[in-house]
Amino acid sequence: MTSQDHLPPTRAEKRQAKRIKRFDNPWMNPKLIWGAALLLGIIAMGIIGRFVWDPDLVFTGSSMLRLPPVGFENLRGQAGSMANPLGTDGGGRDVLALIIIGAPNTLFVGLLASLIGMSIGIFLGFSAGFLGGRTDDIIRVSADVMITIPPLLILVVFQSAFGDVSLTMMALLIAGFVWQSPTRLIRAQVLSMKQSGYVQMAQLSGASTSHIMFREMMPNLVPYLFGSFIASVTTSIVTAVGLEVLGLGPQRIPTLGRTIYEAINAGALIQNLWWWWGIPTLLLAIIFIGLLLINLGLDEVSNPRLRRLS
Amino acid sequence: MKLGRLLLATSAVALAATAALAQDVARENTVIFDLDRTIQDPENFNWMTPGTKRMHGAHQTMWEPLFILNYGTGEVDPWLATGFESNADSTEFTISLRDGVEWSDGEAFNADDVIFTTDIALTNEDISSREASTIKAQVASVEKIDDLTVKFTLNDPNPRFIVENFGVRIFGSFLIMPEHVWAGQDPATFAFNPPIGTGPYTFTSAASNRAIWDRNDDWWGAKTGFMDLPAPARVVFVETGGEESRAQLMAANQLDAAQNVTIGTFEAIQAQNPNVIAWYADYPYAAADPCARQLEINTTVAPWDNANMRKAVANIIDRTQIVNVAYEGTTAASQTMFAQYGSMSPFIDAVVEAGYGLPARADVAAGQALIEAEGWSKDGDFYTKDGETLSVQIHVNSASTEYTRTIDVIVEQLQRAGIDARAVPVENGVFWGEVLPFGAYEMSYSWLSCGSVNEPWASMGRYTVADVVPVGERSPGFNNTARWDGPAAESYSAIMEDIAARPLGDAEIPGLVAEAYAHLDAEMPFIPLVQAAKLLPMNETYWTGWPTADNYYNHPFFWWNHTHQIIHNLEPAGN
Repeated sequence: MTSQDHLPPTRAEKRQAKRIKRFDNPWMNPKLIWGAALLLGIIAMGIIGRFVWDPDLVFTGSSMLRLPPVGFENLRGQAGSMANPLGTDGGGRDVLALIIIGAPNTLFVGLLASLIGMSIGIFLGFSAGFLGGRTDDIIRVSADVMITIPPLLILVVFQSAFGDVSLTMMALLIAGFVWQSPTRLIRAQVLSMKQSGYVQMAQLSGASTSHIMFREMMPNLVPYLFGSFIASVTTSIVTAVGLEVLGLGPQRIPTLGRTIYEAINAGALIQNLWWWWGIPTLLLAIIFIGLLLINLGLDEVSNPRLRRLS
Repeated sequence: MKLGRLLLATSAVALAATAALAQDVARENTVIFDLDRTIQDPENFNWMTPGTKRMHGAHQTMWEPLFILNYGTGEVDPWLATGFESNADSTEFTISLRDGVEWSDGEAFNADDVIFTTDIALTNEDISSREASTIKAQVASVEKIDDLTVKFTLNDPNPRFIVENFGVRIFGSFLIMPEHVWAGQDPATFAFNPPIGTGPYTFTSAASNRAIWDRNDDWWGAKTGFMDLPAPARVVFVETGGEESRAQLMAANQLDAAQNVTIGTFEAIQAQNPNVIAWYADYPYAAADPCARQLEINTTVAPWDNANMRKAVANIIDRTQIVNVAYEGTTAASQTMFAQYGSMSPFIDAVVEAGYGLPARADVAAGQALIEAEGWSKDGDFYTKDGETLSVQIHVNSASTEYTRTIDVIVEQLQRAGIDARAVPVENGVFWGEVLPFGAYEMSYSWLSCGSVNEPWASMGRYTVADVVPVGERSPGFNNTARWDGPAAESYSAIMEDIAARPLGDAEIPGLVAEAYAHLDAEMPFIPLVQAAKLLPMNETYWTGWPTADNYYNHPFFWWNHTHQIIHNLEPAGN
């Protein structure tokens, strides 16, 4: 695909050169950047927000009830004010404070759950793929069995038994249900990689199992791992929000899902308190779009055929 | 909007299901009531055992009470009975039953049924409903004078015997069961399915989320001229879930009477459906509920077994904020444990004059001083002692926004004062079936001193030492679930025995109430919070004749046993 003679480069060749240069660093693709920017924006909002806004406004009774955002009126004809720029909910909680504290919390649960889930998945996936035999059988079968169990069902039971749970506890519970897919994916990659020359060479030269697994094979799996990680963050957040919307998450710690639960429970739709459920829903949408973009971006990193011509 | 659609779609599915079941009865002939809980055992109609056995329509349509207390007039209206007489010291009550009453299978209802059912309550150790426990505690013996006359002999004088047990004073009454069906059955395990009753409706079907009752056109009341047949051909009780679905169903005319909603939701329903009314035509819309709200405390669990710690919590709670945030100003802070009805004011005044009235606002510093005096010191946000953080879990029934929001407010107040409080929401059935009666909580939100509407004993008598049982055992009739015991509780119980024996209206009772209240104030086995108000939307699209302040034939709490009156008063609106 490179030019064979010494003529000055044609237009197509220039474009080709540009493209190659551009993909010198596949990590710098716009999808990845945009996705990361959205998520970092949410994190930044959580960090900066805590300094410029009063986080105590997330608690019941801290402001007047059902105030609309600035520039709107509620059913009673009250206008929004700068004291609560995004309005308040039916319990007098400030919506801006709710999202400043709640959105990072939602993200935190997703990240922590999939970090733990991925670590389990990497360990089990490598063990299964590399060691084979009985170990592989046990891990494969248990992952296959776990994959068929709908996590929400089990988690609903768990959470109702625990009553009030902390964010970390919730992340731990969810982590128990997001390790299967990474395990299978990594096992499959390891199995194919095991046949490749460099692994066999390493084996012949007497490298230890852990050296081969984590020093030789792992770096080649990084794009897959990232992709898998982002996918499980998405799954974890969906699960967490699902539980919260059912009212089963932490009780006093604000999360986006819990805010939506309270809105539904208190009749926010019929009262047209759109800011109460709408703003958290929008934030969730932003988180998911961010994760999707990162996932697409990582796909391009690991699969060069997806890279578009500019 | 996505959520809105989802909710509407869900409601539509629920409605389609209801519609499919109700296909043989037109909507305009059906009255649909809201049920605020899951029917845990829809195949079981043994009301003497725990569970949702009555408020899903059974005691509103199928089982009738002997009398009904009319909250408007204060009179006890006769229903299955025609009247009663008592002896001078209120130890013997003779009830006359109505002639011509029949069970829906055609058998006559008579004194044998009353005696049979009372005997079950007196002799069976395993049944546990509040009404059966009360009969057991009060009645020494029951005898048949003739087919329509029954005489009850009591252990102690009780001038309130009829209204308390047979008069639907609060929620239910001691329901009479048919001897010809129950005879030979074990009352603790009998499922009574199919159920029968004397009421104008018979059981058609039930699932965990709804129960359907159809009119019995052969009802005894119409035949004897006691009353006309009620207008609705079918009565449905359907579990609606949260406030949003309740409101949407109401706005869409798929519900005729809904459970409590917040005032904002009610205004929104009215804006969409002008046919929806409430007790008052204008603000505050809500009807006063005789069950004042309180924070229940399990006095056996440390550190809340210490009266000073309970008093500290009482000081930290700001009732005005609860009124403003959880009730949006539609109710008032409680001064005492009693419902603030006019008929209760002599007793409330006596307590307040004696200096035991509760403040409307908090005194956090005084509360914190009490906690510190018990050896707790503030470490960061919370109090700690011997490395342990001062914390409390408050169980709350998740069936209504009113309940959860009140506890949210209290949790914030306690948190700010240095107590790591947490709300534990529980489903309605679990809350009443497993948490409250067995003392499986530290604190919880409820109304277990409910009872008094015109005299003090019904409420105060629920906290005597006679009803103390260990945690894990069922409190008899939800009495003294606080498990309040000790010298103060014993002195209190002694005064209660004195009050119980006195006739209604005895001039010394207010003084005795104040004397007894000194113990409640010192020990705080529960913390009275606010008066209760129920904002119940009622829909006039298909039915008129709902109870309102202007049409006060009785109160509007349609999960009570008096709902027979409501159903008899309903008239088709002609839509």
